[in-house]
Amino acid sequence: MTRLAITSPRQTNARSVSRLMAILLFCLSPGILLSCWFFGIGILLNILIATVSALAFEAICLIFRGKNPKVQMKDLSAVVTAVLFALSIPIGMPWIFIVAGIGFAILISKHAYGGLGQNPFNPAMTGYLFLLLSFPLTMTTWHVPIHDLTGSSISPLSIEGIRQSLVASFPFLAFDSNISTALIDGMAMATPLTEYKLASPNALASALSTDTSLWSRDASTGWEMVNIAYLLGGLTLLGLGVIRWHIPLAIIGTVALLSLAFYSSTSAAITGTPYMHLFGSATILGAFFIATDPVSAATTPSGRLIYGVIIGVSLYSIRVWGSYLDAVAIAVVFGNFWAPMLDHFFKPTSYGHKSKFSQLVKGLRL
Amino acid sequence: METPFVNTTAATYLFIGVTISFSLYALAKVYHWFKKRHQQQRLLVDKINQLLPQTQCGQCGYEGCRPYARAISKGEQVNQCPPGGIETIVKLTTLLNDQVKTLNPAHGEFEVFKVAVIREDECIGCTKCIKACPVDAILGGPKLMHTVIAAECTGCDLCVDPCPVDCIDMIPALANITPGWCLPDDLNSLHNSLWRKS
Amino acid sequence: MNFLARLLSSQHSTAVHKTTGGITPAHFKEHSLRSQIMPTPLPEELWLSLKQRDGKMLESLVSVGDRVLKNQLIATPTTAYGAPIHAPTSGQIKEITAKHVVNSFAERQLHIVIAVDGQDKFEPLQPMTQYQSLSASQLIEKLHDQGVGGLAGTDFPTPGKLNLTMQSQTQLLIINACECEPFITADEALVREKAEQIVLGAEILQQASNAEKCIVAIANEMSDAIQALKLALANSVIELVLIPTKYPAGGERQIVQAVTGKEVPSGGLPSDINVLIQNVDTAYAAYRAIVIGQPCISRITTLAGTPLKTPKNFEVLFGTPIPFLLELCGNDVLTHESTIVGGSLMGVTLFDDNVAISRATNCVIAASLKWFPDLPAELACIRCGDCADVCPAKLLPQQLYAFSRSQDSENLEDQNLSDCIECGACSYVCPSNIPLVQYFRASKATELAQVQQSQLSEHWQERYQYRQYRLKKDKEESKNRKARLTKDRSTKTDSADFSRSKAKADIAAAVSRVKKRKTESALRKTQEAQDVTGKSQT
Repeated sequence: MTRLAITSPRQTNARSVSRLMAILLFCLSPGILLSCWFFGIGILLNILIATVSALAFEAICLIFRGKNPKVQMKDLSAVVTAVLFALSIPIGMPWIFIVAGIGFAILISKHAYGGLGQNPFNPAMTGYLFLLLSFPLTMTTWHVPIHDLTGSSISPLSIEGIRQSLVASFPFLAFDSNISTALIDGMAMATPLTEYKLASPNALASALSTDTSLWSRDASTGWEMVNIAYLLGGLTLLGLGVIRWHIPLAIIGTVALLSLAFYSSTSAAITGTPYMHLFGSATILGAFFIATDPVSAATTPSGRLIYGVIIGVSLYSIRVWGSYLDAVAIAVVFGNFWAPMLDHFFKPTSYGHKSKFSQLVKGLRL
Repeated sequence: METPFVNTTAATYLFIGVTISFSLYALAKVYHWFKKRHQQQRLLVDKINQLLPQTQCGQCGYEGCRPYARAISKGEQVNQCPPGGIETIVKLTTLLNDQVKTLNPAHGEFEVFKVAVIREDECIGCTKCIKACPVDAILGGPKLMHTVIAAECTGCDLCVDPCPVDCIDMIPALANITPGWCLPDDLNSLHNSLWRKS
Repeated sequence: MNFLARLLSSQHSTAVHKTTGGITPAHFKEHSLRSQIMPTPLPEELWLSLKQRDGKMLESLVSVGDRVLKNQLIATPTTAYGAPIHAPTSGQIKEITAKHVVNSFAERQLHIVIAVDGQDKFEPLQPMTQYQSLSASQLIEKLHDQGVGGLAGTDFPTPGKLNLTMQSQTQLLIINACECEPFITADEALVREKAEQIVLGAEILQQASNAEKCIVAIANEMSDAIQALKLALANSVIELVLIPTKYPAGGERQIVQAVTGKEVPSGGLPSDINVLIQNVDTAYAAYRAIVIGQPCISRITTLAGTPLKTPKNFEVLFGTPIPFLLELCGNDVLTHESTIVGGSLMGVTLFDDNVAISRATNCVIAASLKWFPDLPAELACIRCGDCADVCPAKLLPQQLYAFSRSQDSENLEDQNLSDCIECGACSYVCPSNIPLVQYFRASKATELAQVQQSQLSEHWQERYQYRQYRLKKDKEESKNRKARLTKDRSTKTDSADFSRSKAKADIAAAVSRVKKRKTESALRKTQEAQDVTGKSQT
C-alpha cells in the first residue's frame, strides 16, 4: 500500500535543514572569534548559556507537542536562534536574563505559533525586544574587561579578563563584592554608534587610542574588524547559496544611501557617518544573518527587496531620530509585520502571464 | 470673546451646518445599508444553495437543499449536510465567516458515494419508490418493472424506506469524478470524501 | 540555487534566450549510451492499448482468433485524438482484455493481445520518395494513416497537431532533441545514429505544417549527436540551436522560451504564438512513414538502472511487455525494487510491472535502493525559497504548498496552480524533503473533482426542479380534468325533465316492441308446431 504513495520525483539532491543551519553557524564563527579577541570571552559565555537553555526549552516544547525531540532537534534551528540572540544582547549580562530572553524567544515566539516554519516574527529578535522592554538598564550595560581593580588596562583575554567576564555572566561566582561594583564602572557601550547616540563623543574620543595598529584593542577598530568578519561570513553564505542577495543588498544599500543623504558634518557627531552606520554598528550582522531568517522574511524576490528597504529605513530612522540605541531588532520585527503583505502583493509574473505593469501600460495604451 | 481671525458666529453656524449635513449623510448610509442587507439576504440564499450538493435527501432535517439554504441564511448550523462532505462545511463557513465545525452526528456521517440498485426479482411494481425519488431517477410504471438509472442517482436513499418489499440496496459507486492523488498525509482519511476509491 | 556553481557552469549560446529556474541533477546517462541502439527479439505476446488520449477507445478492426500480418491496420480512432494502430508483427489475436496501464492507480484498460508467431510476415510497404509533390493536407493524411503519433511522452497525435497549426500560420517548427531528464537517452541515441533520416523527417514535417522556418533544438552536452546533426544539416536550411542543459529545458514551454524568447500564453498552446513543436523521434517516424512507407510500430526506449546487467537503448515494438525487456537486460530480481516508466524526476512508478511499451514510453528504469533510496521524512517548510528559485514556470511553490495543505482553492488559483508543469525541480531542491509535486497533483485533482461535483450538483438540481415542475403540472392537469368532468355532469342535469319524459317514451316504445316480438314469435312457434302436426296428420 505504501508503494501507491510514491510519486515523482524519485531523487533528491537537497541539503537538509540541519546542513543549512550548520553552514550558517560556520559563517558566523569568524565574527564571533574576533569578537572574543577584542572583548573577551563574554560573548562565548552568552552563546553557551543561550544555547543550553534554548535546547532545553525546545526539548520541553517538542515533548509537549508530541514530537520526538531526538529527531526534530537535529535541525539546529534552536541553536541558530540562540546564537543570534546571544550576539545581540550585551556582553556580560547575567545568565538569568539570558535564560528569560531565550525562553520567551523559543516558547512564545516560536512554539506558541506552531514551531519550526510557522513563526511570523524572528524569535531571536523578539527575545531581545522582550528583554529590552523589561530590563532596559541591564540591556544597555556592556561589561567589557578593560581595567582591573587597580585601574590599569588589561587584555580581555588575560586571566583577570576571563575572570571578570565569568563574574559578569554568573554573578554568584563573585566571592569578593568589590569586584562587581568595579565592573559596573566598566565601559558601557554597545557599539561606537551608540556612543554617538548618547551624544558623548568625548567618551568615544577617550576610547580611541593613538595606536594605529590594526589589531589594537580599542573601541572603534575592534568593531570594524568584527563587522568585516561578519561581512566575509555573510558573503560566504551568499556564495554557498544559503541566502539570496536581495535582503542584504537592500538593507545595506538603504542604510548607506540614507546615511549619505542625511550626513552633515555639523551633526555628524550625533547622526554618525555612513561608515559608522555600516561598520560601527550591527547593520551587517543584521543584514546577512538576522533579517535573512527565511521563516519570517518575505519570500518573493521583489518582496524581499522591499522588505530590505523597509528594514533599512526603519533602522536608520530609529537610530537617528528615535530613542533606542541599536535598532536592528526593532527594524527586523517591524519588517516581519510587512512580510505577508509583501508576499501577497509582489508575486513574480508567472510564465505565460502578463505582468501587472505591462497590463497597466497596455490599458493606458501608452 | 472676539478672537482676532475667526468670526465666532460664522463658525458656529458653519459647525451646526456641518453637523446636520453629516448626520443626514450618516442616516442615509444606514438606511441604504439596511436595504442592501435585505437584498443580500435573498441573494445569500442563492449563494448558499449553490454550495449545497443538491441531493435533496433531507438528512439535514429540511425538505430539500433550498429550504436548508434558507434556514442557514437565517442562522441554522452549517454542519448538517453529510453528502456535501467536509468541503461543503468549509465552503459554507468561509462564505458566512463562521467557525468550522465537524459534521453534526445527529444528521448522519460522511459516507462513500452510493447509488441505489433495485433487486428486480423482488420488485412488485408498486411505484412507491418512483414517487419518492427527488430527481426522477427511477424508471417504471404500475405493475411494471422498476429500475434505477444509475447515472442519475444521487445517493439520497429516499427510495429505500417506502419500498414495501425492501428490495433496494445502496451500493458504493464511483461518481463521475476523475480519481487522483491524495495529499501526502491524507492517504487514509475518511473525511477526504472526494476520493471514491474503487 | 548555488550562485557560484551557476556562475561557473553557465554555458552561453548567443542564439538562445534566457530561461528561468531549472536544476542540474546528475544525469546517469553514460551507462545506456555506451552501445548502439539494439534491436529486440520478438516477444511472445504484444499488448496494444485501445485507449485514446482523450479517454475514448479506438475501434478494433480485428476479433479474437484473426491472423494479422505486420503493418496491418488493426484499430482505427473514433475521434481526432487517436492514432490508428498497426500490428507490429505477425501473429494471431489471442484476446481483447483489460490490462494495467502505465499509471500508479492500478487502472486497467482494454488491450488487444497478439500471440506472436515468430514468422514476422509483413504486408508490403509503399515507400514514397517524391513526397515533395504532395500537398500539406495530403501529407498530413498519410502521416495519420501511418499512425504517426506524438512519441515524446505525451502521445498527442501528430496529424491533429499539424491540422491545428494549418489554421494558424506556423512561423516556426522546432524539432525538440533536448532530452534533459536524467536516465533518458533515447533521443540522443537516435540522433547520433540516424541524423540524416531525422533531417529528412524534419523537412517532411515542415512541408506538412507549412512552417516558414525550421529549427532543431538540442542540448549542448550531447556532443556526438550534435556532431552528427551538424554533418547532416550541412546542406539544409534547417538551423541548429544549442540549449544549455538544465532540467527541464526540454519541456515544450521552456524550449519555446529559449528559442524564440516568447512565452506560451497561460492555458494556451504554442500554436497561439505560431510555433509548432515536434519531438525528434516523431520526425524520424515521419521519415519512416513517408519515405519508407513503414507505419509507426516501434520506438527507441532506454533501459537503465543498477539491477540491469546491460542497460542500453533498444528499438522496441509497441506492445512489448516490460518484464520481457527487463529480462533481456539481465535484471537482478533481488535488487530490483520498483520500476519507473520515464525519467527519475517525472517518471511514474509502476503499480504492477505487467505493462506494455506504448508510444509514450521513452524510458524504463529498474529502480534499486542504491540509486533510489527511500526519501527522507517530510519536515516543516522553512520558507527558504529554494523552490521558487528553480521553478521554470516562475511560480511560488512555497505558497502553493501552504495553500494546498489548507485546501484554499481561491488562493491556489491566484498563485496559478494550473501553470505548474509538475517537473519536480522544486521537490528536488527542498531542504525539508517535502513532496511538493504530490501536493500540487492532489490539489489539481481536488480542483477538478470540485468542478465536476458542482456540475453534477447543477445537473441534479435541474432534474429536481423539472420534477417539481412536472408534479405541479400533473396536479394542475388533474384539477382541470376534474373541473371539466363536473362541468359536463352539471350540463346534463339541466335538461333532465325533457330527457326523462323522452326516456319514458323510449322505454314504453321498447317495451311494446318487445311484446310485439314476443307475441309474433309465439304465434310463429304455434304455427310451426301446427305445420309439423298438420304434416303428420295429413
